[in-house]
Formats: sequence, C-alpha cells, structure tokens
Amino acid sequence: MNAAVVRRDVFWGLVILLAVAVIPGLCILAAGKSPFAAYAALFGYTLVTGNGFAEVVVRAIPLTLMALGVVAAFRTGIFNIGGDGQLITGAIIAVTLSPWLGRLPAPMGLMAFLLVGFLGGGALGAFVGWLRARFDANEIIVTIMLNYVALQFLTWLIRGPLQEPMHIFPRSFAIASSLELPLLIGGTRVHAGLIVALAAALIMYLILRHTAFGFRMVTVGENRAAAPFAGINDRRTIVLAMLLSGGLAGLAGAVEIAGLHHKLQDDFAAGYGLAAIAVALMARLRPVGVPFTALLFGVFYIGVGALQRQAGIPFPIVWIIEGVVILAFLAYGALIRRNLAHS
Amino acid sequence: MISRPSVKASENRPAAEFAAGRPLLAVRGVTKVFGATVASDAVDLEVWPGEIVGILGENGAGKSTLMNMIAGLIAPDAGEIVLDGEGVVFASPRDAAAAGIGMVHQHFKLIGSLTVAENIALGDPRWGRGVLRFEPLRREVGALAAALGMAVDFDRRVDELAVGEQQRVEILKVLSRRPRLLILDEPTAVLTQDERPGLFRMMAELAARGTAVIIISHKLEDILETCKRVVVMRGGRVVDAAPVSGRSRADLVRMIVGENLPNVSRGAKADAPSAPLMTVEALTIGRPNGTRAVEGASFTLMFREILGLCGVDGNGQSELIHALSGMLRPLSGRVVYHLEGAPAGAWLDAAALRRLGLCHIPEDRHRHGILSGFPLTANYLLTHLGLRDFNRSGWLRQRTIRSRVTEAVAAFEVKAAGPQAIMSHLSGGNQQKLVLARELAAAPRIVIAAHPTRGLDIRTIAFVKQQLLRMREGGAGILLLSADLADIWEIADRVVVMTNGRLRGPVAVADTTLQEVGHWMTTQ
Repeated sequence: MNAAVVRRDVFWGLVILLAVAVIPGLCILAAGKSPFAAYAALFGYTLVTGNGFAEVVVRAIPLTLMALGVVAAFRTGIFNIGGDGQLITGAIIAVTLSPWLGRLPAPMGLMAFLLVGFLGGGALGAFVGWLRARFDANEIIVTIMLNYVALQFLTWLIRGPLQEPMHIFPRSFAIASSLELPLLIGGTRVHAGLIVALAAALIMYLILRHTAFGFRMVTVGENRAAAPFAGINDRRTIVLAMLLSGGLAGLAGAVEIAGLHHKLQDDFAAGYGLAAIAVALMARLRPVGVPFTALLFGVFYIGVGALQRQAGIPFPIVWIIEGVVILAFLAYGALIRRNLAHS
Repeated sequence: MISRPSVKASENRPAAEFAAGRPLLAVRGVTKVFGATVASDAVDLEVWPGEIVGILGENGAGKSTLMNMIAGLIAPDAGEIVLDGEGVVFASPRDAAAAGIGMVHQHFKLIGSLTVAENIALGDPRWGRGVLRFEPLRREVGALAAALGMAVDFDRRVDELAVGEQQRVEILKVLSRRPRLLILDEPTAVLTQDERPGLFRMMAELAARGTAVIIISHKLEDILETCKRVVVMRGGRVVDAAPVSGRSRADLVRMIVGENLPNVSRGAKADAPSAPLMTVEALTIGRPNGTRAVEGASFTLMFREILGLCGVDGNGQSELIHALSGMLRPLSGRVVYHLEGAPAGAWLDAAALRRLGLCHIPEDRHRHGILSGFPLTANYLLTHLGLRDFNRSGWLRQRTIRSRVTEAVAAFEVKAAGPQAIMSHLSGGNQQKLVLARELAAAPRIVIAAHPTRGLDIRTIAFVKQQLLRMREGGAGILLLSADLADIWEIADRVVVMTNGRLRGPVAVADTTLQEVGHWMTTQ
C-alpha cells in the first residue's frame, strides 16, 4: 500500500467521522436541544461512569454471541436473520430441561445448561440450513417466519406449561441457583457470560482461520458452485454452518437466562437479532472485531436511557445516531474497496 | 501482415472502389490485447449494405472480441473502425446503437419480470422518458415485426416465453432502433432445429431491405444456409475470407482448422497392450429440460494415454465430462473406474473420485475452478483439503500450504505477487496455470481436462501440453476436451467425437485425418 492510498483512506475516514458527529448533531439541534449536552450524556454515562460501562458490557455479551452466529452464517453465504428465534429456542429448551440439569454437580450443570441452549438454537438453525441445502428454500424468509413462531411459542409457554408455580405472572419458574452464571464484578450485573462470549469469539476466529471446516464454510460462501467440483460437500457445510450459527444464538439465549434473568419472560432479549447483524457487518464479518462493535452497540442501547434522563432528548434520536454510524461505516468500507480497485 | 494506413482509409482508396459503392463498415488493423493474449490482431473486415457475412472460428479465435469492439462494448487498442466512410470511436454500446449498429448477444439482456413491450421500451428514449408511451411502440414495432414475419405478443411476461421467443424479443428490441448493421452472436445456439428457418427468413428479409448482417456461429449449416460471404478467424486474426456459394461443409472445415497444421508423427507405441483405467458403458445423461445430452456413450480410457474428446460446443461433451467427474448423475449406464479402492457398481461423487486419484480441470474456470476473491493459498488448498500435509485432523497447516504454493507458483511460472496474492488480480492465463498446478500436484491417475488451454497464449499452451504429456508418461490416463483440433492432434493418442449426444470412436489419431474428424464433428 503506498502513501497516497493511506492518505486517501485517512482522508475519507475523517470525512466519515465528521459526518457521524455532525448529522445527528443537526437533528438534535432541530429538536431544540444542545448537541454537546446530548453527546456528553450519551458517552459520559456509558463510557465514564462505572455503572454505565458495566451495563454496556452486560448488553454486549448477547450481542457478541449472536453476531458471531451471524458471522458463521454470512461467511458461508447464508443470510440467517433468525437469531431472535434461535435465541428464544435455545433458552426455552435449556429452561425446560433445567429441573433435571439443576441436579447435576455444580459446574457440570451450568455447562450442560449452556450446551443445551447451544444445541437448541443449533437444531433450529440446522433445520433452516437443511431446507436451504435440500430444497433451496429462501433462508431469509424461513428464518424471519420462524422468529414469529418461536416468539409466539414462548408467549404461550410462559402462560401455560412453563409458567411459575403461582400461575400469576407471565413468566417461567426460576432455574436452580446452581445453573446461574456467577457475577464477575461485585455491585454490577457483569456476569461470567463475558468469558463465554470472548471465548466464543476466539473459537470462531480459530475455526474460520485455521480449520478445514472453516475453510469449507468460507469456500461455500465465496463460490458455492466450485465447492462440489473440489470435492467439498456444500450441503453438509451449509447445514453445519447453520448449526453453528443458530447454536451461538441459542447459547446467547442460555447465557442471558443463566446470567441475567434466571427465568423466561416476555421479550427477555427483544430485537437483538437485527442489531447483531449490524454488529457483525461493522466488524466486517471478522470474529475478532465482533466484541468491539458489540460494545459500541451496547453504548447506543444503554445511552438511550441517559440521553432521555439527563439531556431530555427523546430516545429515537439514538437510533438516528446508530443508523448514521452503520451507514457511515459501510460507506467507508465501500470507499476503501473502490480505492483498492483503482490502485 | 497488414500495413496500418497512416492516412484515413477513406481518402486513400482508389477511385474504382467508389464506383462500386463503399462498404457500410470497414474495420482496419483493429487490435486488442488482454494481458498476455492478443485477442484481436490487426484485423481487417469489410461489410457491405444488404450483405450477410458469417464469422467462423474456434473458441477464443477473437470473434466475440471483434464484434464487441464494433458494437462499442470494448475499445480497440489500435486500428480504426470506419462506418459509412467516417472513422468512428464508440465510448459505449449506446453510441454504437445511435450510429446504427445493433448487437444481439448470446446471453439475452432482457428482464424476465417485465412484459415484451416494457423490455423493448427499456432504455430507448423514443418511447418516452419517465412516462412510457406504449401505443406508438406497439404500432411501430408491431409493423416491423409483421413485415419480417414475426409474431409478437407485447403483453406477455418475458420469463413466460420460450428461449426462441425471447430471442425474437431481443432481436426486435435491437431492430426497433432501425440499425444499419445487425450483429448476431451465436443466434442458433439456443434455437431448436424448427426455430432456425424463422430466424434465417428474418435475416434474409432484413438484408433485402439493405441492412447488413453479421452472424457468428459454430454451426456450419448456419453459414452455408444464410451467408453470402464467410470470414474465418483463428488466434485473433482473419485467416480466410471467401464467398460461400459453391462451398461444401468440408471446405469450411478446412478453412477453420487450416491446411498447415503441425503434423506430429506419433510413431508406433512401444507400450502396446495397456490396461484400462476408466470404462464407460452405455452412458445416457439428461439435461434439466428433459432432453438427452448424451445417448449411450461407451468407450475406455487406457492407462498411459491421452484420449481427445472432440466436438462442436453444445453437443453433450460438457455433460459427459461432468458425469465422468462425479458432478452429474447419469440417467443410465455406468462408469467403472479401475482405481485402487474404487467400489464397483456404485455411482461416485466428485469427492470420492478425487480421493481415488481423479482430477478435473473444469471448463468454466470462474464458476467451478477458483475462489476469485481469495488468495492463491486458498485456491490451491481448495482441492487438497484431504491431504494430510495440509490438514491434520481438521487443523490447517498454513506454513506448509504457503511453502507448497510458493513452489507451485515458481514451477508453473505463475505471475503473481506471492502466495497471498488475490486470485482475481491475476490474468486469466495465470489463474489457469495455478489451477493446473493444483490439479496435477496430486499425481492423479485420471486427468479430466476440459479446455485446459482456452484463452491462453501460445507459450502457455505449449507449457500445458508439455505438462499433460508428462502426466501421460507417468502413467496417467487423460481425457482431453478441446475445441482446438490442432491441440488434440498434437498430443492425443486416440480421439472420440461427439455429435448430438452420440459418440463416435475411439479411433487412433494415426488412423484418421483431421478432415475426417472435422467431418464427423459436423455431421448430424
């Protein structure tokens, strides 16, 4: 890469940064508030205060796991939009089996709980992968529809078979305390799911970069037609990649239950699925980048509250900021690629 | 061979030529180079109003490149294109269309979800900008279609039409702009036998009205039935041009393959009775549309031989190759691979065959052979994932892969920045060299090579042939599909010929002639 290319990249990077700061600022100005006060509230609470940052980390844990699932699917050329459904399925199956898992000796029970969550989400993902591989079913539509199925199933379960013993609140019984993920930092909600998420990122990196399975995945993603010519079973690769992808979402569900909620309830992880796609794309589908972009999105999620409380700014403004950041990032990626093509 | 005029050609012409009128199109010394390949080498061509000219030539002879330059799709590196006595430079196909040149491509550029009328209106400002006026379009284009004897239903969606009908829409779309020169690229490739006369009638009708028509075709009948004059291209050059009348198919074959072919004497083979490697028994292969691509093909590939598979494109060779390499399950018949560990009777897929020692150089490199966005290492690893040196119980050994690719790049003289260079940054010839290096590295027993030299320069072609001969000396059996008869003649021991899904041969190269094989290739 020569100096001119570097200069051009830096130039565009600065332009993009400026756009990210100025465009939402204008919106805030239009709403009659001070942009500086807003940014101070948004970043002050989430990045400077201990409590705020702890909440950002708590939010980044499921986002990281689900975004890694998105990476697994997208790198294989499969557009898995069903992270939400797979997360719910993993959590449902883990909680359903928790009365039995709770009787296992302490660390074994927790590990089995997380594994069951992974397998539950993975089974749903693998089913979608099989439909895609066998019948060429459009995985985007299938996964979106399954999201609704899983959500309605959860709604019914926590008002029916899995409802808490008193049958008053729409939520399930609590899992045994031996199945809970321990807190990492006292006084906060940061739990050991953080270690699970970081380990998952490392494992995904190793799979994609250093294993034959990962190579098959990215090969199918890059050129599915070439895979069978080379002796790679593209269908099996798609099913396994979707097992991994759905499994990571299911693991996120089990981690949320074991680390945070300890029971199933309505919208216990609402809307993470789409955010996870943005997290994965911003990380350029690289596992190592995912925890960092997940943190950034955690800042947005947690910053909403601070923005409303401290600056009196209606929360939709934060979605404008989020949207501008995503678009700016994608635009920057496209600009750099174009520059590469021209150089 | 050609002296490039420094003065504009139209000013430099003898008066006698003006007396006879002047050509509608004159191409002079047009040259186009892609990487190391000269796709068009100082080509001269003249086309007169009302004339139908056929362009013949093997794949990669430069026909499409020449036509694409005339139609403004690519810009020539040198030479000039003269239209009606005026030198023209087209920046885009739109410019060429405005100047009266229309081209119907082999792959249609229609939008399936739109109606016929909408497709014709697309991108043509005469039918309105923003709001389309379909009434005048129906009137004018309808009248044009009627005059040419074509039936057209403007309201049908294009994806509901048969391929032949789609082609008529594509032709009408081009004709609606009233071109003075119509270029048809392999128009009969997608037509059934019954649909061809309609196309030919339309061409004759257009020519009678003064439109010049250029038709590219692999099918000699097309040329014999429609053209006044034929131009033969080989290796980017025009090697022959002559009136068609009075010529036979054999004459055309001779013009395509040339008289002065390298006559390699094969001599008597020392290792006479060799063992069979692959026995093909009564193989019948279907196409997705229900027709049969290959009908009852039987032959045997022997140990230590190169078996040439000849045929005009689209006669079933691709399907045969796909079936033999485990990509396509045949309808009936069977293939016996005489390889160690091969289970008898069962159909084997590509993965199993590769493990047994069969390698396959695919016909469509971009679609089936490479990962264009990935580095050379990944492209090399692609077919060697099962190799223990590279893959230790699921873990890739990057350093070994890198060093092996570095060796292969050096041995096959692949011009690349290094083993981590991105495949798409390489020229086509260098990509093909890497594919060859990869496929031949595993010391295969059976090599299925489909057009391994297509699009390569002469030096590389010689290199590829040498590699194939080297594999043969090592005892491999090679099935070589090539559109270039000369290639097959130079290195093959025996040939089989495919026409319309039926196989003829095998026959030893020493026992036949190029002319005979060329005749078989074109006899229905």
